[in-house]
Amino acid sequence: MKKYLEIAKILFKSQMAYRFDVAMTVLFTVTKILFAYILWGAIFAQNEVVGGFTFPMMLSYYIISSFLSQIEMSDGVSREVSERIRSGTFSKYMVIPVSVNGYFIAQTFGTVAYYFIFVAIGTILWILLFGVGFVITSGILTILSTIVIIILGLLFMIQLNFFLGMLAFKFQDIEFFLMIKSNIVSFVTGGLVPLMLLPQSIVSVMKIFPFYYVTYLPSMLLIGENGHEAVTGIIMLSIWLFVFVLLNKITYVKMRVIYDGVGI
Amino acid sequence: MIIETKNLTKTYKLFEKEAGLRGSVKSLFKRKFSYKTALSNFDITVNEGEFIGLIGPNGAGKTTLVKILTGIVAKTSGEVSVLGFYSNKLEHAFKKQYAVVMGQKSQLFFELTASDTFLLFKELYGIPKEEYQKNLDYFVTLFEVEKLLNVQVRTLSLGERMKMELIAALLHNPKVLFLDEPTIGLDAVAQRQIRTFLKEVNENKGTTIILTSHYMEDIKSLCKRCVVVNHGEKNYDGDTDTLFQRYRTHKKITLCFAEETNFLLPEGCILVEQNPLKAVFMVPVTTSQELVTMFMKQYVLNDITIEEDEIGSVVERIYDSRKVESE
Repeated sequence: MKKYLEIAKILFKSQMAYRFDVAMTVLFTVTKILFAYILWGAIFAQNEVVGGFTFPMMLSYYIISSFLSQIEMSDGVSREVSERIRSGTFSKYMVIPVSVNGYFIAQTFGTVAYYFIFVAIGTILWILLFGVGFVITSGILTILSTIVIIILGLLFMIQLNFFLGMLAFKFQDIEFFLMIKSNIVSFVTGGLVPLMLLPQSIVSVMKIFPFYYVTYLPSMLLIGENGHEAVTGIIMLSIWLFVFVLLNKITYVKMRVIYDGVGI
Repeated sequence: MIIETKNLTKTYKLFEKEAGLRGSVKSLFKRKFSYKTALSNFDITVNEGEFIGLIGPNGAGKTTLVKILTGIVAKTSGEVSVLGFYSNKLEHAFKKQYAVVMGQKSQLFFELTASDTFLLFKELYGIPKEEYQKNLDYFVTLFEVEKLLNVQVRTLSLGERMKMELIAALLHNPKVLFLDEPTIGLDAVAQRQIRTFLKEVNENKGTTIILTSHYMEDIKSLCKRCVVVNHGEKNYDGDTDTLFQRYRTHKKITLCFAEETNFLLPEGCILVEQNPLKAVFMVPVTTSQELVTMFMKQYVLNDITIEEDEIGSVVERIYDSRKVESE
């Protein structure tokens, strides 16, 4: 465990080299909030409640989901795994006494920890500046289960991206798979539109898949909604996580033997 | 014996495509593959504490051999045992006992200092604090890099970076160190420093070292034993000096004449350069002494120099040869 902590630590330290990136990330947390403020401000000017949401609730949802999608940095895993396989430098991970999957989990958590701090600073800053009537649950149990869901969601996304990255063992290019994933994720996680506004039948289907629980459910839980789904969220994410951990284990063992270690 | 391979064979599957747009479109519908045998029935045994050089032209199979021995690449057939393990199983217990440094692949974090990477390696390999400090001090002193430890890696020179790679690789006292072109692109001073370092590590720590390099100076000064690999086969396995001696078939003679001379090249010699006042040519080692005596009698000379055969020519002959009887 200590070695994975050290991997997370070194990635955390690496992020500190890019001060400009971090400053921009903090600064641009405002764009999504601003967009939501203008768009929903116009809609709520005529209606007090839309789809069960009040204006402060809707803004809070956007702020929280924007925060969660910004710290969900598992995208880097599929990119790095595939690029390293294609360039022949994946061997870097194969020769050290550490699980490659574990390495990428630790690496992502190290990066996320860093951004968590700075994105949180940015978000709080804009909430105060805009004077948003921020709605957040006060239930300790809800907050705790949300934290568990967020961690499970991140772990699942890392596993999904690790799997997609590994496809580069077999395929020359995996851009197509990444594009599909990216489109599905941005829609299904509720990052674009709160899923509650969609027809119930579609939402029911979405609940079978893990993406519903990655950003949307924790955002809803934090604004005090969907409390009854917390346990389901934990169970569903745990099942999906287990499936993907197993899938990755099998895939890695099968795929790495076809790795030639040659670059492009 | 810590490394043993028997009939080790590795075949790569290569994607082939005709040139041009037509070829690209055709390849979309019908993939064409060819197979390249990088290693063929390769046998090698390595004993503890040896310093072995792997030489051969580009694409000969040296790097493939290193990749199989370190477990990065799986064999196609044959047997391989490294420190008692089947390398491609990639067990942690195995990986803790060796290290690999590839000239063009880095383990260092470029945004951070070398010390940061060393601390990571301390945890990855579970090196006890005292042992870590002792090893770090030893290698840092040997390379004289104390002042560079806390400098961002990306600002280090290529030579300095390679020194740090070697330190990172050796912190856990590996039993075997695999080096693939560690001096590639380095200047003469850095190359010499790295050679001195490796020699010391091999002699004082007893680390078995397997080195591939295109710089024959590396091989000649470090490896008592060398293995010539060509077309995936072992052409020679034995004493390095004997190999070079065997292919050092010519000597280079330069004659500077005192007056304009019509020099006649003796039979069996190869002309390199000639003008009325100077002649440069290669003579077979077996007849060199006799010919020099003859030149001194036959011509009025200002100067005569006799040089050893150029290492490049020797290597070319070694690579061109088929199997040589091993020692």
